[in-house]
Amino acid sequence: MKPRIVLVDDHALFLAGVRAELGDAVEVVGTAGTVADAVPLIKEADPDVVLLDVHLPDGGGDAVINAVALERPAVRFLALSVSDAAEDVIAVIRAGARGYVTKTISGEELAQAIERVRSGDAVFSPRLAGFVLDAFRAGERVGGDSELDELTAREREVLQLIARGYMYKEIAARLHLSVKTVESHVSSVLRKLQLSSRHELTRWATRHRLV
Amino acid sequence: MALPRLALDGERRVVAGVCGGIARALGADVTLVRVVFAVLALGGGAGILVYLALWAYARARRAWFAVLLAVVASALVLSAVGLSGSGVLGLVLVAAGLWLALRRGGSLRPDTRVSYWGLALAAVGVAIAVPGGTPTLLAPGAIGAALVLLVGPWLWRLVLDRDAERSARVRSEERAEVAARVHDSVLQTLALIQRHAQEPQRVAALARRQERELRGWLYGDLPIGNGAASVVAALSAAAADVEEVHGVRVELATAGDCPVDERVEAAVLAAREAMTNAAKFAGVGEIDVYAEVTEDAVAVFVRDRGSGFDRAGVPPGRRGLVDSVERRLERAGGCATITSAPGEGTEVELRVPRDGSS
Repeated sequence: MKPRIVLVDDHALFLAGVRAELGDAVEVVGTAGTVADAVPLIKEADPDVVLLDVHLPDGGGDAVINAVALERPAVRFLALSVSDAAEDVIAVIRAGARGYVTKTISGEELAQAIERVRSGDAVFSPRLAGFVLDAFRAGERVGGDSELDELTAREREVLQLIARGYMYKEIAARLHLSVKTVESHVSSVLRKLQLSSRHELTRWATRHRLV
Repeated sequence: MALPRLALDGERRVVAGVCGGIARALGADVTLVRVVFAVLALGGGAGILVYLALWAYARARRAWFAVLLAVVASALVLSAVGLSGSGVLGLVLVAAGLWLALRRGGSLRPDTRVSYWGLALAAVGVAIAVPGGTPTLLAPGAIGAALVLLVGPWLWRLVLDRDAERSARVRSEERAEVAARVHDSVLQTLALIQRHAQEPQRVAALARRQERELRGWLYGDLPIGNGAASVVAALSAAAADVEEVHGVRVELATAGDCPVDERVEAAVLAAREAMTNAAKFAGVGEIDVYAEVTEDAVAVFVRDRGSGFDRAGVPPGRRGLVDSVERRLERAGGCATITSAPGEGTEVELRVPRDGSS
């Protein structure tokens, strides 16, 4: 069955472009251009996946997720954007988005990403992988009381390869792992990113805002 | 090391102005010079001969005549001091031999010709002088002097050559740097202009941009192609350039950031070249670039899933990969690793140490 999706983006041109690119790989059940429009629409349509712009005229993408998540826990979010500050992207991910891709992604790849998010996996674009590596940078840990505060060497390795543009299949071949294992590493990174309460994420975001 | 120039002093002259000329050339008191000549004249008339020799030299620049006179004069002085005839002859031969050797060869380096005649003459001189009943100190002294004269210029020349080699190396490195920059910018633009010769607007835009870049580099000391202050900004600018010029998509991911110093700039420029190469030769529409800044290094990965290539099959005239990427990184103290195989895409890994960490 085709995934049912909602597009949330304030650029009409982009909405039209994505619709055309995705073609009949998905079923678009609604579009919205603001947080205020998106929230009731998603609650009403109950789609499988929401493609969510990081920036909207009346708030960030994380505002949409926060407003919907409790009521519609099954709805999955995929953040989509042109070029954003790292902390904004991380904020959307921490709010609950299952991945982040850039708008330059091809229609085919976007369809794959939607499918992956729908089935509960994480989708890390190279850029997100870079942001996350930066946020969890080695040597900047202060407390370190929880395993959520650190990436394992393997997770780091996987993220680095994603950042370098390798696909899961290629990463699996290179690290002699199965694709499933690579996926589970990525999901585990996502979980750490969302659940970690480490100060460094805040500190890191603050530093980025200042830089 | 030019000798002070000797010119006759017409104003302070007593005979021909030689003493005055020497005094001026050496910056000494003219009376002192005259006294030296007077004392020398007592040694069998040697002072007079030296005076004549210098006069001849200053008038006509006949070096050989001056030297001949000087040699005769030294012989006179030595016999006046009380050397035996053969001793004097020996020393004269040593001097003449050394002069010949210096004039002809000037050095004993293996790759320059030595005057064997001169050396032979000197040897004969030593052979005559040593058993000739000369004072015991004189023969070893003469040999020592001969060695100093022979080896001295050689050592001197070695030092000069080493300096020359070093500056030649610096020059050639600078030339390589300029060549790499020109290759990355001007030659690429010219190639594009040829390809788009039918589109005047495009050509004009390309030319304008290139002009701006060159001006920035020549007069403003900006890194070519971007004036950005951080790695991420510089790479974004480079990626945007490559996207604009070649119509490909460059997906840039970064972790960390740092200011652009000379080494980092080398990595950025090399990355730009790698992107350009990928855009031109890989035959795919997308290039992935990842930059990772850690405490002690900056690493940039440029990857495409294109046609790939076999290193052995790249014609030697194609400078991009070697000069703009590998050599540039080497000069910056880093290294470039290129992984590619036909049909399997290409990944260029660039790594430079950060300042203060090497």
